[in-house]
Amino acid sequence: MSTIDTVRNLVAELAQAPVPADADASLFEAGAIDSFGVMDLVERLEEAFGIQIPDKDMVPRKFETLTKIVTYVDQRQGA
Amino acid sequence: MASILGFGAHLPDRVVTAAELAAQLGVEPDWILEMCGIAERRYAGPDETVVDLAERAARRVLEATHMQAADLGGIMVGTGTAPRAFPGVSASLQQRLGVGGMAFDIPLASVGGFFALCTAADLAPRLGPILVVGAEKMSEVVQAYPAKETTILFGDGAGACIVSPGEGPLEIVDWIAESDGAFADDLQREPGGPLVMHGRQVIMQANRKLKRSIQMLLDRHQRSTSDVDLFLLHQANLNLLNQVAKGLGIDEERVFVNLQTRGNTSSASLFIAAAEAQAAGRLRSGDHVVLAAFGSGFSFGAMLARVR
Repeated sequence: MSTIDTVRNLVAELAQAPVPADADASLFEAGAIDSFGVMDLVERLEEAFGIQIPDKDMVPRKFETLTKIVTYVDQRQGA
Repeated sequence: MASILGFGAHLPDRVVTAAELAAQLGVEPDWILEMCGIAERRYAGPDETVVDLAERAARRVLEATHMQAADLGGIMVGTGTAPRAFPGVSASLQQRLGVGGMAFDIPLASVGGFFALCTAADLAPRLGPILVVGAEKMSEVVQAYPAKETTILFGDGAGACIVSPGEGPLEIVDWIAESDGAFADDLQREPGGPLVMHGRQVIMQANRKLKRSIQMLLDRHQRSTSDVDLFLLHQANLNLLNQVAKGLGIDEERVFVNLQTRGNTSSASLFIAAAEAQAAGRLRSGDHVVLAAFGSGFSFGAMLARVR
């Protein structure tokens, strides 16, 4: 499964509203993920991709869209 | 180390309901409850200052612990809403109580009272009994610049405790405290200006840092969350408290919550919660208690204490 498919599935499991089809759409504005849901998402990303997300990266903009999440996950996996 | 002799609190009379704020902010009362779980909070009157609130909480704890103001070796106040840049609320308290000793404020919203408590735990053996106060008049800030994200959260009040060297009713076992200045701009207020709070950022960092502080402290003492009988946390937001508890595997009964009727009283909340927990008989002999807070800085930490 591609990274974006995995990320989309993880978001969908937590989503409180339909996950936008547009990978560049804001998950926050779509109501899919709220401030508390993003914390659960971070933990699931760490588990699913075997990465550690440091405090300095715990900023909402890094997790705002599917594209941004995939970019970040790719960076961490390559780090 | 040192011990906490007791707690005291003061809340102003005026009750401000979610319905009242909803009408002011153009939102539904249920939205407020959904966002933060706060049904009502207290507002101080126009002539009631932070120093007035602090003094009342201070006199309550002095009375509760059968102490005289003259016994104090120091006063430390945590507040983000001091009425003047300097000197602090602590100096005004000295003036009103007619005492000397070392006095200073810690101007950290939400966590200033906790940092003052940690500082007092280490300074009490040198100075003698220290009056520690958290006092806030948040209504002045959130009503001067109403914004639904912040105005729904905050209330006014003061809480206090006395930290004394040696043995006492609540022995301080250990504490850890830290600040992460990378997020200094995410919860801040310039003099006379609005409260700047980047809500998502605050929640993400608070969740992680509170959990880690508590876990690190317990690990240091070879204890787990199941060994702790009561968690007294900064009363920030009900959703945040629930998420931290869930993340640490703590059942709701062991987390003291009063913010449904007190609101988020910033630096005062921890001591108000402690005073109410004590009055409700929640501090039982032999219990282990964790106190923890998170606030501007971002600053955060946790304290482990044992009821004698």
